Amino acid sequence: MRKKIIIKRFDPESAEDSYLQAYNVDIAQNATVLEVLLSIKEEHDGSLTFRRSCGSAVCGSCAVTVNGVAILACHTQLSTVNWGEKDIHIEPLGNMPVIKDLVVNFHPFWHEIEKTMPWIEPKEEGERENVVTQEEAQLIDESANCIMCGSCFGDCTIRETDDNFMGPAALAKGWRFAGDTRDSLQQERLELLSEDGNMWDCTRCNLCIDRCPKEVRPMDQIIKLREEAVKAGITDNKGVRHVMAFQADIKNHGKLNETTMPLKTVGVLRSLGMIPMALRMQMKGKVPFPILKDIEGIEDVKKIYKIMGVEE
Amino acid sequence: MKYAYYPGCAAEAILKEADETTRIVANTLGIELLDMKNATCCGAGCLNEANKELAVTINARIFAIAEGMGVNILTSCSTCLQTMAKINHDLKNDPDLLARTNEVLKEVGMHYSGKVEITHLLWVLERDYGVEKLRKMVKRPLNMLSIASFYGCHTLRPGEILGYEDPRAPKSLDMVMKALGANTVDYRGKTRCCGFHTLLVNERASLKAAGKRIQEAKDKSADCMVTPCPLCEISLDVYQGEAEKLFQRKTQMPIFYLSQLVALALGADIDSLSFKKHLVSPHKVISAVMEESRV
Repeated sequence: MRKKIIIKRFDPESAEDSYLQAYNVDIAQNATVLEVLLSIKEEHDGSLTFRRSCGSAVCGSCAVTVNGVAILACHTQLSTVNWGEKDIHIEPLGNMPVIKDLVVNFHPFWHEIEKTMPWIEPKEEGERENVVTQEEAQLIDESANCIMCGSCFGDCTIRETDDNFMGPAALAKGWRFAGDTRDSLQQERLELLSEDGNMWDCTRCNLCIDRCPKEVRPMDQIIKLREEAVKAGITDNKGVRHVMAFQADIKNHGKLNETTMPLKTVGVLRSLGMIPMALRMQMKGKVPFPILKDIEGIEDVKKIYKIMGVEE
Repeated sequence: MKYAYYPGCAAEAILKEADETTRIVANTLGIELLDMKNATCCGAGCLNEANKELAVTINARIFAIAEGMGVNILTSCSTCLQTMAKINHDLKNDPDLLARTNEVLKEVGMHYSGKVEITHLLWVLERDYGVEKLRKMVKRPLNMLSIASFYGCHTLRPGEILGYEDPRAPKSLDMVMKALGANTVDYRGKTRCCGFHTLLVNERASLKAAGKRIQEAKDKSADCMVTPCPLCEISLDVYQGEAEKLFQRKTQMPIFYLSQLVALALGADIDSLSFKKHLVSPHKVISAVMEESRV
């Protein structure tokens, strides 16, 4: 199969910006993206630069963006790329500065990982070792599979729009240790990860789950962090106020009060700043009456809350 | 075709036009929508984080209502779809969880046996009603329009649970728009995120996400965008002005909720489609369609 491969190139030593270069390449039926890159380098252009090492989806070196989707080059057969443009566009991972061609500077990624204190601080030594049950191990099993390839980080919606966001890999790593029963810093970790720019800023787009080649399911680990933070009583932030407003509205009315939601989440002062927006929405009939009619059977809903021991 | 209809909170409050036009489309096509007056909010993924077991029980109660009606659930909201589908998946695959949940439901005289399926208006239009049949029902073709389909996140991912189509290469919304006669525009942002779910926590990041999606469609010369999710509609239309300020780039991209465009093409009374409620005026786009259908 002959295919047009378009690669985003960048040479730091040239004055030029990045540019697109097309190669017409003969591709074996089952060739991986990495094999295609290697054949371009060997047969067409020795200057093409990219990272690679194990070729077996273990080292995490060769992540690139193909037609807008971050993938591991060694783990993806080119023939399976059925998304995006008709030609194949290979670009460096997103959300990190490019060093050369397909090689990015991972410093921002490592910087976020470091913030999570990625090591175990053991509990005080007892008479015997800390026993971890199978159930306890399963809770952190997925997050321990991360090979730090940066695919989730490169395609993260919020990292794309806010450099202050920790990103999916670091948050999953945060859960790897906050969820480890041998660790003594759980509360401290959950407090740190509840700060602005961390667990509550995720927009739940699920892209990181789609992109991860090792089934880490980073967003699922972020949700575990959120559940644990709520249980640990770390509730003085917008994220928790938001989810608690859902819990209260459903109990009281069966549905959301969308008019009071901003007030409950961001507080009175910040809500004042939203007034001009609210007025524009009001003019278009988009601000519902703030007093809700309860759903039929609201008493049953309240009873469920009571049986399950949920106050509000 | 008969479903328990679950519009979701946004379509019952801020974005009533999503609910109203879904009903118009269903009426016109002979799809029967049964109201669930005792259904609660699904919790939109937020209730899960406040209290997971509670969220499971509250959703199981919704499923039990539909099961009692003997029908599956149709929602017109992508986030409701994903929230309910994930919890339904857990209940169907974890007999202990289902049993524990039914212990609580028993106290309010309900039971869920795990038989209900959750579907979305988009899937019903594309697969169950079918695009070929839909094409034959079109009275006002949208062939003047180049439409950027915006799938967003929650009808696509997680693919292994929703399972309707390939989350990296979805076609459903484009197929429906083509059936209405429109040209569709391909652009990278179509499977990405509108930022809605971080709007109240990280407003700037949320607005930037919305703005980027709109610009990606604008750069491919789309006349308008269409979405199957009322929350994406809010992000992209209601907050577009704020995103424009942030990027200092005017986009003025009209954004439609799916059933608004379907109802328009099916020949619905134009005044019933709430185009005047948009913050970015879709006047030009609508005029072009009306002009063309008069010829």
